[in-house]
Amino acid sequence: MKKLFSVLMVVMISAVLAACGSQSSGDGSSDQSAKANGAASEAKIPDRIRVVIGSSSTGGDTYQNSDAVSRYLEESLGTNMKVDAIGAVQAFSELDRADDDGNTIMFFHDMAYLGVEYGSINEKNALENWKIGPVVSTNPGNAFLASGDAPYDTMAESAEWLKNNPDETITVAIEAGGVSEISFDGYFLWVKEKYGEEVADRIKVYPTGSQEDKNQALWDGNADIINGSIGGNNEYTKEGVESKIKMKFLGITAGKRVEGYDIPTFAEQGIEVNGKEFVFDKEFFFLLPKDIDPNFAKALDEAVAQVVENEDYTSDLAKNAYIPSYISADEAEDYLLEKRATFQNIIKNAPTVDELTE
Amino acid sequence: MDIFSILTPLSIVLVFTGVFMGIIFGAIPGMTATMAIALFLPLTYALDMVEAIALLIGLYVGGISGGLVPAMLLNIPGTPSSLCTTFDGYPMTQKGQGEKALKIGITASIIGGFFSLTILYFFAPILASIAIEFSSVEKFLVILFALTVIASISKGSLLGGVFSGVLGVYLSLIGMFPDNNTLRLVPPVLEEQLYYGFALLPVLIGLFAIAQIMQEAEEGMKPAAHQNINLSKNKKNKFSLRIFNGQIINTIRSSVIGTFIGMLPGVGGSAASITAYSQTKNFSKNPEKLGTGEPEGIISSESANNGLIGGALIPLLSLGIPGDSTTAVLIGAFLLQGIQVGPLFITTNPELWSGIVSTLIIANILMFLLMFFSIRYMAKIVYIPKYTIYPIIIVMCVVGSYAINNGVMFDVWTLLLFGALGYVFMKIGIQLAPFLIGFILGKQAEKYFIDSLKGSDGSLTVFFTNGPITIILWLMIIGSIAFAIYDNYRTKKTAQEETITKVS
Repeated sequence: MKKLFSVLMVVMISAVLAACGSQSSGDGSSDQSAKANGAASEAKIPDRIRVVIGSSSTGGDTYQNSDAVSRYLEESLGTNMKVDAIGAVQAFSELDRADDDGNTIMFFHDMAYLGVEYGSINEKNALENWKIGPVVSTNPGNAFLASGDAPYDTMAESAEWLKNNPDETITVAIEAGGVSEISFDGYFLWVKEKYGEEVADRIKVYPTGSQEDKNQALWDGNADIINGSIGGNNEYTKEGVESKIKMKFLGITAGKRVEGYDIPTFAEQGIEVNGKEFVFDKEFFFLLPKDIDPNFAKALDEAVAQVVENEDYTSDLAKNAYIPSYISADEAEDYLLEKRATFQNIIKNAPTVDELTE
Repeated sequence: MDIFSILTPLSIVLVFTGVFMGIIFGAIPGMTATMAIALFLPLTYALDMVEAIALLIGLYVGGISGGLVPAMLLNIPGTPSSLCTTFDGYPMTQKGQGEKALKIGITASIIGGFFSLTILYFFAPILASIAIEFSSVEKFLVILFALTVIASISKGSLLGGVFSGVLGVYLSLIGMFPDNNTLRLVPPVLEEQLYYGFALLPVLIGLFAIAQIMQEAEEGMKPAAHQNINLSKNKKNKFSLRIFNGQIINTIRSSVIGTFIGMLPGVGGSAASITAYSQTKNFSKNPEKLGTGEPEGIISSESANNGLIGGALIPLLSLGIPGDSTTAVLIGAFLLQGIQVGPLFITTNPELWSGIVSTLIIANILMFLLMFFSIRYMAKIVYIPKYTIYPIIIVMCVVGSYAINNGVMFDVWTLLLFGALGYVFMKIGIQLAPFLIGFILGKQAEKYFIDSLKGSDGSLTVFFTNGPITIILWLMIIGSIAFAIYDNYRTKKTAQEETITKVS
């Protein structure tokens, strides 16, 4: 009997350790492929790199973009990388505690600074407190949708419709405190500028969480327009979908149209804020600890530069309509700070979610 | 059969591996099916779609099923959805019927699994369109209905049980209120740690495992009664399919509830077995016996939580909406392969659809075989001296808590905090199960309550005027509460009569 107990314990404990080991170290194998390329030759690259991401979902675009680039970076850097979807608050806290050798780095998108501006992310996590790494890729699919039978086909038309129907309101489902809210703010300020407060006051907000919640808000009739994405919502816009759940795209916030989709950009529709076209490209980038080893930062930057040239990587991203968009670490800092300044201005002028739900 | 033609030998090996690993994950307190899938997700990139799905579905079925082992043998629910399995499973183990209890649980699991699979295969698209008819109002009422179980499982004082449940709801609301990103009920020093509130898993296993170990330590780790008896030759303790005679309605009702709640996006798996258990108690001929080691209770909880699997896949595969947290991770696997899951998924990917269904069939059968025939050995865990097994459990709980959110140390502190709290709760009469049910369902109840009010401009009448489904749900809620009060009154009266008889 004793023997059986020991065997049972060994099995249980080894299972625990196996699980624990792979949580922190990816798929385990520690034999390194040759650190042959130039990027990694000068720097000491840790054997294992943990990439924490600002989202806790393994089904979202942050996970997909980080997973794709990490898989290719592993080869270039000759190391193992493991993406951990621990959410923004935890990810920043891990980055704050991280060593300077690069064993923990963060991958996130514009929410990193928008969250600080909207108050959903603590100010101590502002961009200035990190070393900004290279911009890696873009999800150009940030979009707005309405029900298939809505009386308007674009965001611009929705405002015109609101103007012509003074008894009507439009409720937009968004997630407070990030990409979804900034895109809405752009639309709202434009309506206010072009059609005046009377029309803008009839735009309401239905704040909610995940994409599923926003879809359900549309189907329940609690929202007329929802924020969504090409990747997440395209399936509902196809021919053959039941009319009850059918959706249509009203516009994307990206600067350019997405290949293969007939969806006009905000800019094309004439949506402007402060006399400038409203463009919002959701970009993904690395954030590193402030005192990161400069050799590591350089190696990572060069390796990303190499990966974005790789056609396999591009076609992996294309599966979900993402595109590589490399900006070197040196330029990324100025670029993101400038981008932030533009949106700070919009956030300052736009009403808060609390005001819009009153 | 045509649907099996898509499976390759490799995919069958992968289902087997998935089920095996899933059972281990489910059986370790603190590790869940969701975690198992998230962990294996990056490995699926190297596989083709059917193989990837084979592995992940194996993990899903194994992970949900494995939870019954610690629930029954150690009174520790391995996953939130096996909470109700502890109510009757552990008392059976204490009576020396651990092996029998496990076999009943596994048999109920495979019945629930196949029931929901049949529903998934034949009715997915129709049911999915019914599921989206459930707006936030109906979802709130479904959760309220699940919460009524608190009234029927309260031990001793009904008011005490309700208070414990409300306390659980209160603690579940700690953290960020997502609609306007406002922190509430959080002390300033813990803002970062409590941003998302207390994580469910560490709270669950802290209250059950750690508190229980502390309580037993206080008593000096005497061998428990069941460790001294060996009743394996007693016929009463043998498993036989005859146990299911007279339980057919219970099994079907619980599988239906499991499948149905699984189907509702965002309502979550734990509500399935909780609701099924409470209805079994309400309809039982001997409701007072439930909770003392009745196969009836195990059958309801386990058939419901496996029924959930097919149910949760219905909106996922026919609408692209995950029915629970585990299916939300599965979406990630589809996207990694560049496959969009949406309303046209089944018609545009018939091969993959067959692959999923055949994998589910095989995974359920493998789960049954693997568990049924290894149970003789698993059941012996209860014979391990407590001074040996408890330290191992504590280690597993700590590791599980650390890993649940991919390595957050605060979750370990949560585990220990709720372990200590659970110990205090037991001393002062706060009931753990109602507290936990309040904690599990509290946040969702609030979310759908607020969502309903947002949609109705703040008018509370929406909960009564939103169509015939709301009326039916209210009747079910009122019926469930009325029954619980009546049952409580009857039990007290019987107890009084017994005392009078004894005295006279």
